[in-house]
Amino acid sequence: MIVLTVNGTQHRLEVAAETPLLWVLREPLGLVGTKFGCGAGLCGACSVHVDGAVVRSCQIAVADVADRAIVTIEAVQAQPAIADIAGAVLAAWVQAGVPQCGYCQPGFVMATIGGVAADRGQSREAVLARLSNICRCGSYDAVRDAVGQALDTLRRAAP
Amino acid sequence: MSTLARRAFLISAGVLGGGLLVGAGATAYGLRRIAAFEAPLDGGRASFGAWLRVAGDGIFEVLVPHQEMGQGIHTLAMMLAAEALQLPLSAMRAVAAPDAAVFANPVMLLDGLPMDLHDGGMVQGAAIWTLDKLLRLLGVQGTGGSSSTRNIETAIRYSALVALDLLRRAAAAEFGVDEAQVSAQNGIMTASNGRAARYGELAAAAGRLSPRNVDLPPLTAGRLVGRAVTRPDARPKATGAARFGIDTRQDGQLYAAIRHAPRLGGRPQTARLGQKVAGVRQIVTGADYVAVIATSFPAALAGLEGAEIVWDDRAASTVSTADVQIAYRAALDQGAAYGKRWVIDHTGNTAGGVGRRIAASYTAPFLAHTTMEPINATALVSPNAVTIWAGHQSLSLVKLIAARAAGVEPAAVMVHTPYLGGGFGRRADLQYIRKAVEIAATVPGQPVQTIWTRPEDLRDDVYRPAAMADVSATLGDDGMPTSLSYRIAVPSVTDQFTARAMRAAKGGLLADRSAVDGAVFSLYGLPNRTIEHFAVDLGIPVGFWRSVGHSLGGFFFETFIDELASAAGVAPMVFRARLLAAAPGAAAERAEVLLQRLARWDMATRPAAVPAGTIIGRGVALSECFHSFVAQIAEVAVTGSDIRVRRVHAVVDCGCAIDPANTVAQIRSGINYGLSAALFGRIDFENGAIVQSNFHDYRALTLDDAPEISVEIVNSNAPIGGVGEIGTPGIAPALGNAIFAATGKRLRNLPFTLA
Repeated sequence: MIVLTVNGTQHRLEVAAETPLLWVLREPLGLVGTKFGCGAGLCGACSVHVDGAVVRSCQIAVADVADRAIVTIEAVQAQPAIADIAGAVLAAWVQAGVPQCGYCQPGFVMATIGGVAADRGQSREAVLARLSNICRCGSYDAVRDAVGQALDTLRRAAP
Repeated sequence: MSTLARRAFLISAGVLGGGLLVGAGATAYGLRRIAAFEAPLDGGRASFGAWLRVAGDGIFEVLVPHQEMGQGIHTLAMMLAAEALQLPLSAMRAVAAPDAAVFANPVMLLDGLPMDLHDGGMVQGAAIWTLDKLLRLLGVQGTGGSSSTRNIETAIRYSALVALDLLRRAAAAEFGVDEAQVSAQNGIMTASNGRAARYGELAAAAGRLSPRNVDLPPLTAGRLVGRAVTRPDARPKATGAARFGIDTRQDGQLYAAIRHAPRLGGRPQTARLGQKVAGVRQIVTGADYVAVIATSFPAALAGLEGAEIVWDDRAASTVSTADVQIAYRAALDQGAAYGKRWVIDHTGNTAGGVGRRIAASYTAPFLAHTTMEPINATALVSPNAVTIWAGHQSLSLVKLIAARAAGVEPAAVMVHTPYLGGGFGRRADLQYIRKAVEIAATVPGQPVQTIWTRPEDLRDDVYRPAAMADVSATLGDDGMPTSLSYRIAVPSVTDQFTARAMRAAKGGLLADRSAVDGAVFSLYGLPNRTIEHFAVDLGIPVGFWRSVGHSLGGFFFETFIDELASAAGVAPMVFRARLLAAAPGAAAERAEVLLQRLARWDMATRPAAVPAGTIIGRGVALSECFHSFVAQIAEVAVTGSDIRVRRVHAVVDCGCAIDPANTVAQIRSGINYGLSAALFGRIDFENGAIVQSNFHDYRALTLDDAPEISVEIVNSNAPIGGVGEIGTPGIAPALGNAIFAATGKRLRNLPFTLA
């Protein structure tokens, strides 16, 4: 029995301790916004936040995050500490037209939100340097635009 | 040109096919085409032929027979319908079209004809070849070959105009005025007497009227067309709400993990479950794979990892990538005596060319697709029916293959198609559907989702074939080519694909144009030329990969053109302009416009300063593919053996960019896809087994490697061409030519390395 706190809700789960967090999110919890891409921590499609840090959920055993706060793409906009960042990043993402096939996008968005939140006020280049996600549609120019737009939005909103 | 003749041919081919839709002009289009099938109503208010209907909530639905795999076809279809209907985009919805002949895609296969599309002239045998292809693929619905918009643009616009006419007449009757006194705007019909009604309110009455033929104006920019829109799927994709095949969740769903024989041609001899794993149900053996079914995917994977599998390698391949290159060299050296050889484009006397001889040999490796969503399919097999949930590039072939695997009729196969997490040609090859059905058939009545892990996704791929090309030319005293010979050794993708998809099909009877694409029927003026294909197949599975043959021919041919320019002592852009000037015709004129724009960008945008030890170079390439034209320039920074692509500028003419933002996104996408391959991409085989297994040894471009790509669109208003693949072929030669400009080193083998 493992107790997992995902998006503010506690779940009691009968899963093997070494099960990657990714598969617990996708299957018993039905949170399929977090994607399987490589199973080796190489592509970032499975990115989630664990205690606010960006984590590749295919590489972390569920037992290791049992008493941590896990946030997935489904609830990232509802987290008070980063709601402004999530809103700005998602709005910019749509405005800049980043998604094509869309499969890597939730992971890319989670990595970006976490990357911006890691150091509020950092430059666009600093945020981009944190992003190593793979997008086979090659949407990287649009990602650069979106990150710039999101930082502009946040700067304008800053008190 | 050219264009008219080509259109005329398409129309005649359409007639041959009997009711096939072709991208014909207004005169060739009529009601019978859209009335061949009535869109199912499903509780809606009215349908207007095959392509349009009004749903119960008043939203207009356009039926789209092409899968949304990132190329934006759902948005484009909605834009085309909304434009003609005088509707806002928010009043439209795209829904998947059912399997019906009216939704077939002949455009995709007509592009494969081994004939010159510039002058419309048929080479010998093309008629037989066409018939052969039509018989094989008649009625096949498919997404690929950058054909989606070309295939449905006319049908959708025509259907929308017919519907608008019906709605106007219904409004006139309702309001008691003449049709001419009813105006349509923003989803509302307004009469001169002040009365007004929403389209949705008039839909049922309109649906009872007899449709009339309408005039179809040419596709040009309008209220929506030609303007950037926000894709309706952008937000759900960014927020994780969009559903892909792998997100399928059905009641009682089981999961399967699959492992293929390590060596091509290997088979499971024995396969037993090992130590007990909670949730594991059973082990399944197929022709070349073993799968474990469990209540969760991690349990299935653990069961598979613990299974005791003995592979029977008696019939396994021993092929290595080195063998493939040796076989290519041998075939090319054998020349005319080689059995499987096709001369596809021959004009004048190649041997009679006079002047200085320039010759070069090039190679390109096998490539995997690595769609972001690994291959997967969910199947529910019942005694007399099959249900499939999966991303795919051909509804018709999914039904055919699933039916065959389960022993039912294709009509008994129900297919649900969510978004595709990438296609790139990989999801046109549907053996994964067969395997998912075979696995699910062992637990009848229960849906099973089979997922290929990334290593299995690479191992079970159908690869972009490796190829070798010998290219030579003679240069006259004026520096212009007096003859050219292009000889490529590569297996026929079309033959392998057809043999896998349709067992009755006989491959190898006719030339495969895709083998020589990028070189054949060049838009340059090249006298005395011979284009030959040596079909050398050592049994490594090959398939369609973004831009197919252009990804090879584009590199070989445009690199060689650069070598000729260098030998002639002429700047690469000037040399290309001279070759275009030597080829009268609209195609060469369109390409010349792009070159001029590229030259202007090159002059206006000089490279920024670089640190000592780094050298900058720029290289160009020109592509004509899928009825579109792209000229691109790549700027590279070389430091020691390190190659960094700093930026790329592309100028594009696809006739009319329906959604310019999407056109830009697709060009950038195609370039980055080609760049991953040019910098990192190679799949190797040793003793019949694939060497690479994941993104660590089969790298994909990331933000850090990705250049800034700017795109300039030229709307020539020629008939629309494809967009999804056209950025890919030019980037490898542009980059290689840039490296040559920077270092003087000519890289003739992909992927590029200076080490």
